Parts: sequence; structure tokens; C-alpha cells
Amino acid sequence: MDVQLKRGILDVCVLAAIRSVDSYGYQIIKDLKPYVELSESTLYTILKRLEASELLTVRTAEHGGRLRKYYHITAKGLQYIEEFKQEWKGIMSIYRFIAGEEESHG
Amino acid sequence: MDKQGFLAALREGLRGLPPADIEERVAFYNEMIDDRMEEGLTEAQAVAELGSVESVIAQIAAETPLVKLVKEKVRSERKRGGKGLTTALLVLGSPIWVSLLIAAFAVVLSLVVAAWSVVIALYGPALSLVVSGVACVAFSVVYILLGNIPGAAFAVGAGLAAVGLGLLLFPACNALAKALVKGMKKLVQGIKSLLMRRKGAE
Repeated sequence: MDVQLKRGILDVCVLAAIRSVDSYGYQIIKDLKPYVELSESTLYTILKRLEASELLTVRTAEHGGRLRKYYHITAKGLQYIEEFKQEWKGIMSIYRFIAGEEESHG
Repeated sequence: MDKQGFLAALREGLRGLPPADIEERVAFYNEMIDDRMEEGLTEAQAVAELGSVESVIAQIAAETPLVKLVKEKVRSERKRGGKGLTTALLVLGSPIWVSLLIAAFAVVLSLVVAAWSVVIALYGPALSLVVSGVACVAFSVVYILLGNIPGAAFAVGAGLAAVGLGLLLFPACNALAKALVKGMKKLVQGIKSLLMRRKGAE
């Protein structure tokens, strides 16, 4: 798959994984596992990028006597997901046309 | 390998990164191992799931921009010089390694340029063969108008042969160019891992 395209999709996947509830690194990897195999270093890079673009915020909280980083989606992050969905609606209709699945217009 | 061993090796391998980055990466992997152990994996299993330290370091090197590594190299060399050496040595010594770095960069750049000129030198003849071949075939019309049929046949034959040869050369050029791009990616990768590891060893 095209590198740029894949990067864009992975970004949204990670945002979607923290959309409804704040999550942490290992949980994100587990949640995405059925869809994409994400290595730790890839996830780290994505989280850094999303934080820099203010699509998510990070907080450190205590968990079981140690520290764990939790990621929280921002309003901008939620909007980013919506924009992605809109964009892909267009792409999907083009896909259906290419695949020949579009209803024929007599 | 246990957790401490993995994290120590990771820290060692990432020495080319800014110190704050190293700590953050190590903390990230530390958390990843702890979370796996919390799920019931043994320490060794949790570490094994992350892959070998070498592959983790290589992946981080691949994802880190070369510019960042060079900047950190410059920064750390300055700092080291300031700590250990006299001011005179710092002034004299720092430009030496800076010029060495520039020289190394120049060598790499000239190698890249040389490699690309070979590719261009191959594309040139291929293109000129095709163009001259087409011209040759077109010129056969003049022979026909002059009534020189053997001449026309020769021109067509020679032209087609030239076009064919030229077209045959193109895939070879493409393959070479592709190999070159691959080689260059590897070169950058090599430079990166050199910058990443060597900082403390020098």
C-alpha cells in the first residue's frame, strides 16, 4: 500500500481507538490487532505525531503502583475522524464505480 | 532476556538520539512490558513479544529523520568538547570534526551523483537509438522517391534495428535505476544506524 495513504489511515485508526474512552499504548495495540498489526515503534511515532498536531493529549496517571500514559482525543481529533469519514465516502463511491458495483443508470 | 536487559540494550542502542527522546522511548517500552506482564505473561514472554532489541532499534532508526540524528551529533559533540577539553582545544578541535563530517557528506554526495550519471549515460544512448531509428525509417521515403528500393529497404531495416535495440535498453536502465534507489535507501539507513550507535563509542 502507498506509504502516505497507509500513514493517514493508521493515524485515524489510533484516534478511533481512543474516541470513546481514554486509552493507553498496549490497549490501543490490542484494540487495533484485528484490523492492523501495529508495532510499538510505529505506534509511538503515530502518537507523537497526533500529539504534535493537537489531535490528542497525553496524561500520566498512576496504575497499580506504576505510571502509565493515557491518551485523550481532543475536539480537533474528533473532527479529524469526521473529515476522514467524509473524504472516504467519496473514495468509496469511486471504488464502487471502478469495481463495477454501481447501479447502472439506464 | 529480562526487562532490565532489554531496556538497557535499548538505551545503549539509541544513544544517537536526544537524551529526552531516549528516556521517553525507554519509558514507553517499559510500560509496554509491564502491561503485558499484568495480562499474565511472564517477563521473558512480554519482552519476547516486542521483538529483538536490534530490530526495534533498526525500526526506530528508520523512523527518525536523518537531520535529527546529525543535529544531535553536533550538539553532543559540542557539549562533550566543552566538558572535557580546554577552550583552545575546543576551538581547534570542533572545526576538525565538523569539516570531517562535511567531507564525509561530500564523498557520499559525489558517489550518489556518480551513480546517477551512469544511469543517465545509459538512458541517453537508449533514447538516441530510438530517435535515430525512427528518423532512419522516415528517411526511407526519400529513397523510395528517388527510386532506390534497396536503399529504402536498408534504411527501414537499420532504423527498426536501432529502435529495437533502444527499446531493449530501457528495461535494463529501469532496473539499474531501481537498484540504485534501493541502494541509496540502504546507504541512508546505514548512516543512520552509525549515528545512532556510535555516539558513545568514539
